[in-house]
Amino acid sequence: MIRTLHLWLLCLCAANALAQPSGVTDKNIAIIEYPDFPEAHSTWGSIGYNAASNTVHIGVTNHANNIALYSFDPAQHATKLNGFIRDMANLRPYQWQGKIHSKIVAAPDGSIFFSTDGGESREEYLMEHPQGYAGGFFMQWNAKTGLKNLGIGMQYESIKDVDIDPKTGMLYGITYPQAHFLVYDPAKNHLRDLGRLASSHVPRVLFTDWWGNCYYVDWRQRLVKYEKDRDSLVFALEALPAFPGTPGSKIITGVTAYAKDEAKGIIYLITYGAKLIAFHPEKEGIGQVTDLGGVIDTGNAPAWGPYVPNLNVGRNGKLYYIIGGHGNYVMKDKTVLVEFDPATGKKAILKNFPITAITEATGSDIRDKDGNLYFAARRNPSGKGDDTRPYLIQFNPEKEIRK
Amino acid sequence: MRNLTKNILLPALLLACTNPLLAQYTFFTPDGAFAIEVSLPNSAEKRLPMYRNAITSLSVQGDRILGGTTAKEGFSPYLFIASISGKNLLTIKDLQEVIPGQKSITTGFCKGTGNQLFAGTMPQSGTNGQAGHLLQIGIGPGNVIEVKDLGAPVAGEGIFALLANRDSSELYGISYPSGRFFTYTITTKKVQVFEDVMPNAKDLKNFHDFASQPEGYLCKALIQDNKGLVYGSAAGNRIFAFDPAKKHFTFLQTPLPAVWGREVLGQVESWAKSPDGKLYGGNAGDGQLFVLDPATQKIKNLGKPMMMGRLQALAFGRDGKLYGLAGGAPGYSHLFSYDETAGFVDLGNPEFKMVAPGIEQGILWRGFQLGTLAASADGKYIVMGEDEALSQLMVFPVGQ
Repeated sequence: MIRTLHLWLLCLCAANALAQPSGVTDKNIAIIEYPDFPEAHSTWGSIGYNAASNTVHIGVTNHANNIALYSFDPAQHATKLNGFIRDMANLRPYQWQGKIHSKIVAAPDGSIFFSTDGGESREEYLMEHPQGYAGGFFMQWNAKTGLKNLGIGMQYESIKDVDIDPKTGMLYGITYPQAHFLVYDPAKNHLRDLGRLASSHVPRVLFTDWWGNCYYVDWRQRLVKYEKDRDSLVFALEALPAFPGTPGSKIITGVTAYAKDEAKGIIYLITYGAKLIAFHPEKEGIGQVTDLGGVIDTGNAPAWGPYVPNLNVGRNGKLYYIIGGHGNYVMKDKTVLVEFDPATGKKAILKNFPITAITEATGSDIRDKDGNLYFAARRNPSGKGDDTRPYLIQFNPEKEIRK
Repeated sequence: MRNLTKNILLPALLLACTNPLLAQYTFFTPDGAFAIEVSLPNSAEKRLPMYRNAITSLSVQGDRILGGTTAKEGFSPYLFIASISGKNLLTIKDLQEVIPGQKSITTGFCKGTGNQLFAGTMPQSGTNGQAGHLLQIGIGPGNVIEVKDLGAPVAGEGIFALLANRDSSELYGISYPSGRFFTYTITTKKVQVFEDVMPNAKDLKNFHDFASQPEGYLCKALIQDNKGLVYGSAAGNRIFAFDPAKKHFTFLQTPLPAVWGREVLGQVESWAKSPDGKLYGGNAGDGQLFVLDPATQKIKNLGKPMMMGRLQALAFGRDGKLYGLAGGAPGYSHLFSYDETAGFVDLGNPEFKMVAPGIEQGILWRGFQLGTLAASADGKYIVMGEDEALSQLMVFPVGQ
């Protein structure tokens, strides 16, 4: 046991040793609460940026059967509850939805798209039972026209993530638990199931490139690209980089977060095996992949261990992510905000937070026009159980936030 | 204390960190079970390509698993051989090389003389006049798959079900989409076609009213009892018996078990013969397991292993239990076992470890859409095949 304590201390010291003096203070961070939803519990990557209105949209759940849709306007520093999904979509009680697990993606006209998720065991196993799951749905929301239910993806299946080809409006989806890749054209109500791509675990993240091609990973953690011009799936020959000894359970879980630097032609990825990767997409075929190392040096702990369900890229070209969640922390009972400079390869812990303040943060590639980055976070003030409250983190690495 | 920390606490901590998120369920993972990766696009390894690998026919020949697939429309299916001891794929053969224009091998494999097997195919739609063919399949030296085209027994029709008789001299089948019953004599290649079990106009009107397609109402599986009678299902929730000696059909007095009002769904899609000669069948319509006693020709409803319809496959293991696949899309297939003592045991989705070059550490594979199942001759192994865009094999040993 004494040796175990030594290991923890070593981890702690190793992580602290990375901490560099930085100009980041509490003035670079704003905490934004979600109003008018006392039973709010969590957010699950259910966040996205809408360039047409310079707004951030968040789906907040009670983690049972009620989901609120919020908008945050950075110019006004104002949060608005747009309504509850079950009311706006005219869902009946037997059409309960557990959460929005997908990111929220925007079309050029300002509409946003997302999908719903059962979110509990009853979704996966009750099926045709009277209390079974009716969903998950593709949904569209527009500030002017409200919410439109675009229908179910697969019977009894959640839709864990979506993305959009902004040029055509085509939606991509990945279902849970069978991990079927869906291609859906809302304009024609044409849904196609391109089949199962994963094994025992469903990688949670889809992402697109600037041409509108969509990416996922197979069970070997190889990139799978839906190439829109060929209307077919293209599989990478090689798996994404992984640390030696990475367990299979990490491999099959794939990518946890991404952020795009279109100017540099790079999509940054973080894997469940804690690798940072620079992916250089190409219009045709699979592009090059560069291994940027681990998300953090954990000292004696396995390099593949840290859990990072979020990633943003600043206007300065640096990556920002918060490590920790689901009981997996690199510093005891703390989450850490890390800055990674791809130009120099340097990683620095900017701040650490007790898990009573930030238990976990999710969200990929959310940056407003002023360079503010966003994380959909939650906190567990008691530090016990799963009694969490969600909130929004606004972070600007380069300047103080105007509140 | 040091050993306790090193041997127990640290591994436990490691495990706690490596479990996938929300891994809160238990799965059927018996000791010695494994999955074989047989499908993978763009690989240096020998693998089946995407959309051509739904495993719809299986046979176990000693250490070798012979599989037949169904392809997406426009593609042709494959035959393949995998090794149980090697836990790997050995050989694949594109059926297009032998018979162009085929879509699937869905009949399962019937045992012929020696190590010969027989199967039937379904043609791709839109192929003008193309019919399903009978295949004679052998495994040659070096695991070469040898396929002989025995021709199309019913002009313009696919082969939906197939059975070889006990001495492997004759084949019996159901054609698609009409549902004709045919016999094929192997030595003479003589075909006889019968219309006795075809749906009539009234049946077809009924199927139309229920939006039921031939896949959902034609007899999917045939079996022969120890006296030589061949059994299958027919429209109206009936079981027919064909006497090969007299070329005569009779219909049993007792119907297939059904949920009230759903008799139109009746369709036998699996059979297994127990050591005592009783015939166990699976009704696709509502997923009931039943037993037919050939001595009395009475059917007993044994119930349903789960709520869903479908009962896609049945085979006896060496432990005397009947193993089967119940349910399926839009839900999941559930592996179950049945014996008179324990009744049904729903084993759910199996989850087995898959090891292959590039994934040497092993990954877990969960079987959602298992479409077929076969037992080795000694009942030691049960082999299951997936029906997916990228389908794999799942194998588990059966206890004594």
